[in-house]
Amino acid sequence: MGKGGFHLETKDPIIKFAVLDKILNLAKANSLWPMTFGLACCAIEMMSTAMARFDIDRFGAGIFRATPRQSDLMIVSGTVTKKMAPILVTLYEQMPGPKWVIAMGNCAISGGPFAFEGQYNLVEGVDLLVPVDVYVPGCPPRPEGLLEGLMKLEEKITGSRRFPTPEQKW
Amino acid sequence: MVKTIFEDIKNSIKGIEINEVSYAERGYHLAVEATKGNLLNIIGLLDKKRFYIADMCCVDYVEYLEIVYLFNNHSSLCRIKVSLKVDPERPVAPTISHIYTMAHWYEREIYEFFGVYFEGHDKLIYLFLHDGIDFYPLRKQRVPVSAEDMKLLNSFKPREEEDTFFVNLGPQHPSTHGVLRVVIKMDGEYVVSAEPVLGYLHRMHEKMAENRTYQQFLPNPARMDYPGALLFNLAHVAAVEKLCGIEVPERAQYIRTITCELNRVASHLLWIGAFLADLGGLTPFLYAFDDRENILDILEAVTGSRLTYCYFRFGGLYNDVDDNFVSETKKFVKRMRERFIMYEKLITKNVIFINRVKGIGTIKQDMVPKYGFSGPTIRSTGIPFDMRTHEPYAAYDKIDFEIPTGTVGDNMDRYTVRLSEMAICLDIIEKAIAKLPSGPINADKVPKKLKPPKGDIYHAVESTRGETGVYIVSDESDKPYRMRWRVPSFSNLMTFPALAKGSLLADAIATMGSFDLVIPEIDR
Amino acid sequence: MDTLNEFYHVLIFLIVAVLFTIVPIVVAYLLSPRSLGDKTNTTYECGIEPFGGAWIRYSVAYYIYALIFIAFDVDVLYLFPIALSYTKGSRMFEFYSLLIFVSLLVLAIIYAWGKGVFTWKRRIP
Repeated sequence: MGKGGFHLETKDPIIKFAVLDKILNLAKANSLWPMTFGLACCAIEMMSTAMARFDIDRFGAGIFRATPRQSDLMIVSGTVTKKMAPILVTLYEQMPGPKWVIAMGNCAISGGPFAFEGQYNLVEGVDLLVPVDVYVPGCPPRPEGLLEGLMKLEEKITGSRRFPTPEQKW
Repeated sequence: MVKTIFEDIKNSIKGIEINEVSYAERGYHLAVEATKGNLLNIIGLLDKKRFYIADMCCVDYVEYLEIVYLFNNHSSLCRIKVSLKVDPERPVAPTISHIYTMAHWYEREIYEFFGVYFEGHDKLIYLFLHDGIDFYPLRKQRVPVSAEDMKLLNSFKPREEEDTFFVNLGPQHPSTHGVLRVVIKMDGEYVVSAEPVLGYLHRMHEKMAENRTYQQFLPNPARMDYPGALLFNLAHVAAVEKLCGIEVPERAQYIRTITCELNRVASHLLWIGAFLADLGGLTPFLYAFDDRENILDILEAVTGSRLTYCYFRFGGLYNDVDDNFVSETKKFVKRMRERFIMYEKLITKNVIFINRVKGIGTIKQDMVPKYGFSGPTIRSTGIPFDMRTHEPYAAYDKIDFEIPTGTVGDNMDRYTVRLSEMAICLDIIEKAIAKLPSGPINADKVPKKLKPPKGDIYHAVESTRGETGVYIVSDESDKPYRMRWRVPSFSNLMTFPALAKGSLLADAIATMGSFDLVIPEIDR
Repeated sequence: MDTLNEFYHVLIFLIVAVLFTIVPIVVAYLLSPRSLGDKTNTTYECGIEPFGGAWIRYSVAYYIYALIFIAFDVDVLYLFPIALSYTKGSRMFEFYSLLIFVSLLVLAIIYAWGKGVFTWKRRIP
């Protein structure tokens, strides 16, 4: 797998001031274009989220690009094995900035049900490879869970939440 | 049939050890002990009698390694187990890939997991594992890989020629099959050769099975084939019940049948969406998922999860169904029958679809016994082979249904077979609901710690993609000694390189989509 | 000089077209953050390093498509002035000359169709 994961040098934009930042962040948050990185079972729930019932397109994130060059959100849905790890890092580096990562499902968070003693082929969590912004737990998480993860990511980018948090009943 | 084969084998090959075993306990009829000298004779004889290899695996008993070949016949049920013992220090066995083409990949898998070298095999390179692993994973003790084995396993270097170039249909691609990588050698727009590279989702299910008790392993089969999770669950549970001799009550069998058929419809709907998306038509995806959400609502109320079900337990079910389930299912069946008319108009009569799909990816008749494909793939060539009638389990022997077949074996036939299968699933569900008995749903006196008797068993089930089999070797403890999964997508994928040769790239992708591959079940 | 008045419109059109392409590139250059990794500028091939180079010998069927494209691209040059002057003269003359021109081109397509340029059959080795 190699030592560590990705290697990235970032630079700030040439023109940068507060009001422009706010406008641009609003634009970025409301039009996140995900990259289809469906690895395993969580990919089917991601596809369900993109379909008619739990439409993710109404939040602006409905255009799933296959190529990393035109996407800015990588939803890692599924188990990352050691054979797949270099490919994930390459694809992450090929995405242009600014970019975000959602780790969807237990396998992407920490190895999931496959982390047992004596395992030889699992990367226990995608945050060992790339920096993750939002974790969505579940095996697989419901589509509403993924939408809540998207809301959290929008909150992280803009600073304010689009819909109010549902009230805690317990 | 079993008797005639028994007599034939005994008379043709001298000095062979062959026994009849009890089918109800073991799942196979005859057990043949082969030696390195007469293995090829036995295999050649079975090939002449049109047997196909159902599975080929290896078990590590520490004093020796045993390679197990399980044979079966398409026309009548006769399962034969041929076993070959090899020495654990330097295991060597003769290859049978010149007789059965499908053994090519099985032998590669055994080589990288156990270290058994097959003489005469031309390409023993990595199939599932990557080049950081320096031991054989499925051996009981840690045996390191020797240097010359490492060199042989790593020797996949595509050679460049003047007129051709290599394209990676990589692990990350817009079609929804999963992480399958195919290295395609192309000449302009034509595919010269297609070589799948697997193992990007190898999640060590077979190793986990040896470290977990039978109950702890219950969530795993659903992760292998997530669109058809209940059927894999059924394969696991039914195999262990057969091994322990647990009788499942009737109501549980009927409910198992109904939920499995609902899951089959859901999986075929997912396939229709994905297949059309491969061809470029993105609209039917939305319609198919709409119907699929209805099924998921019904199953979620009963099982508790939407995708990876773990509903069956040893001896019965986890939860009983109520009247709500029955009425919702009847409503769904009525609604789905009307939706079929819509699918006919949208897809089947579409001129572009017919031109993209008819006459492409035709499977020739002489490929059938050499490759072990099953499921809708073999039914599209005209052979009505279905595990539900071939070797009935659950409540299928009490319900009549017909098996749809195609004629030519091209992509159009596979599409029509799956569409007809969905309609037949609805028939089965209706008949099963009409006959649903009342009673208990769990067998009584199932021990908390399940310790099956010593021995091995093979049990097969018709999952959405074909014949799914479980081969369990138990040594009386509460963890299996070896659990081997025979998955249909693995043997279906073996036909893809032969069918893609010489076709255009878009046609090759359409062919791959028509096989309905699910990669986690290939990689296990 | 009167005739040159009409060309001012063309000049404005040209300037706006050039700005339309350049301004988004400049704005993106000024406003975007940059992130460069090890593999950022490599070729995308589903995450894997590509084998071999990209300059290969390819088959002659592509060349024939290119020829047909060039022929049709050139005839658009003829069609532009005809389209502009279509309503200025007696319409019948333009109509018939256009019809003869296009039908000659269609003959070329029918010939190519008959020769099998448009169907790519499966090659069984």
